[in-house]
Amino acid sequence: MTRLSPTAAAVSELQMAGSVSARVPDRRRWPLYVAAVIGVALIVMPLVFNMFDRAPKGATMLEEFRPFMTTARLDGFQADIRQVSAAVAETNGPVSQRLRSSAGSGAGSSSFPSSYTSLSSQWPVIDATMTNLLDKVQGNLGNYRAVAALPSFTLFPWFFVLPGVITLGLAGAGLLWPRRRGRVRVALVVLGVGLILAPAVFQMWQRAPEGGRMMSAFRTIETTSNVERIQGYFSTMASGQGAIRLDIVPALERSGLTTAEIESQFPAVATLDSNWVHILNDMTPMIGAMSDGVPDYQAISSLPAFPLFPWFFVLPGVVLGGLALLIRPQGAS
Amino acid sequence: MLRVLPGAALAMLAVVALAGCGSSSSHTATSGTPLVGTFHLTAGSCSGPSVTGTYFQMIQPGGTIAAGKYFENPDSPCVNKSYTSGTPGRDGGLVTGRYQPNPVPAFNRLQSALADEILAPQSFTEIDFAISTNALDPQTGLKVPAPEVYDNNGRLSGQIEAWSAAWNDQYFNQGSPKPNGTSPGLTSPLTGTYDASTHAFLLTWASQVVGGPFNGFTGYWHLQGTFAPSPA
Repeated sequence: MTRLSPTAAAVSELQMAGSVSARVPDRRRWPLYVAAVIGVALIVMPLVFNMFDRAPKGATMLEEFRPFMTTARLDGFQADIRQVSAAVAETNGPVSQRLRSSAGSGAGSSSFPSSYTSLSSQWPVIDATMTNLLDKVQGNLGNYRAVAALPSFTLFPWFFVLPGVITLGLAGAGLLWPRRRGRVRVALVVLGVGLILAPAVFQMWQRAPEGGRMMSAFRTIETTSNVERIQGYFSTMASGQGAIRLDIVPALERSGLTTAEIESQFPAVATLDSNWVHILNDMTPMIGAMSDGVPDYQAISSLPAFPLFPWFFVLPGVVLGGLALLIRPQGAS
Repeated sequence: MLRVLPGAALAMLAVVALAGCGSSSSHTATSGTPLVGTFHLTAGSCSGPSVTGTYFQMIQPGGTIAAGKYFENPDSPCVNKSYTSGTPGRDGGLVTGRYQPNPVPAFNRLQSALADEILAPQSFTEIDFAISTNALDPQTGLKVPAPEVYDNNGRLSGQIEAWSAAWNDQYFNQGSPKPNGTSPGLTSPLTGTYDASTHAFLLTWASQVVGGPFNGFTGYWHLQGTFAPSPA
């Protein structure tokens, strides 16, 4: 008996399938066609949602925020704001009184440089905005960690494309080689189960909604106008601190106080003065990350909502598994 | 005849290739005599609200070069704190035709910048900033040409893509055009004047910061002094 080569066997199967289908409609094929459509949909979905461009930006944003998303670092920012707040309160109160009394009369806070009065007048708004922002970020620390623990965003499109290619390949194999539909069926069941289990394996059911909450919280933070507002606050704070350091503290010295007396009588002003470089070292990179994160945030916020992501795996998995069960290997009744 | 064609085609391809990638200043319209040497800077000097010599200003997002709103540097010696005056560095100023790179390390432990060839480091909100020109722009990582300035009957033009400010452990490209050849926002070309008899020059340009904490701010640079050509 002559053995056919694999290619010849496939051609023979195709001819048989063709001759059979020419005579009798093969109603067992439709699940394979549907599977092929699902495969194509999975391949096309990342392109439709522009995931190859947007998903890496999500990875970039998470990476840019990573140095700042620790309890210690966020507590440090809150402490920085409290230091400025305390120094402004002290300057407006005891420091102003000291300078007024030493001047005799008439000179009070109105004699402060305009760069300080600008800080003083804006501080309640700056304080409230920055504290609210930091509270919001701190409140989403857990959500950030959950998202950061997911597989890299850069891989996301491939989570759709690879199952899509496999599904399309299996469906094509089932259509081309009817005798191998038994194997195709098993493979599709395995693939379907894999897709159903994937969100559980990656803890997406918990992490994706947390990511969604983080994205919602950052919606008002990661905007160009908000970043520009914070840049303006930073400018006001820097000028105001300069006025304290270069005008107000020297005025206290001229009023007869030594450096040690200023430190003991006006500890908040002295602390801000000595910590200012540290505050700058601390805060400017965060503002930079916020600024650089705006286009990245906008890119990933235009992806489908995070809580839907597990369903993008489960639904095709369920459908593929169900279709696989409907596939009847050739010869089966 | 047929033998000549491949040679001619190759020659044409070579010309096209050279025109396309050879010139470091391909982004900038430049003409005139190249001024290769040192643009010795006159230190910035404040007299009342006006400033002469070398200085820079930082314009906040949404502002204009002429009217601001400006970032006020409390450490400026000027009455008008929007001006930060410059003091010549160890090389006396800007050198064209070669780089004046960042030292290693580029920052001290307080994250003040240390480059001091073009300008002496200058305090900016209590942290020193410094200027350098580097073959690889430190902010973008892109390759940039060494500064070039051309004199065309007393009018200066050129490119200064490599001009880089360092501050607080961060780099900000302040060149024009930007390292990718674009001129975003208020970025304006390098222009100026040159008196060939006295060698007195004035160079100005503006460069918008792209990325980082000062994203959208624009640096306006005003360099003044005397040009000394490199020895032939």
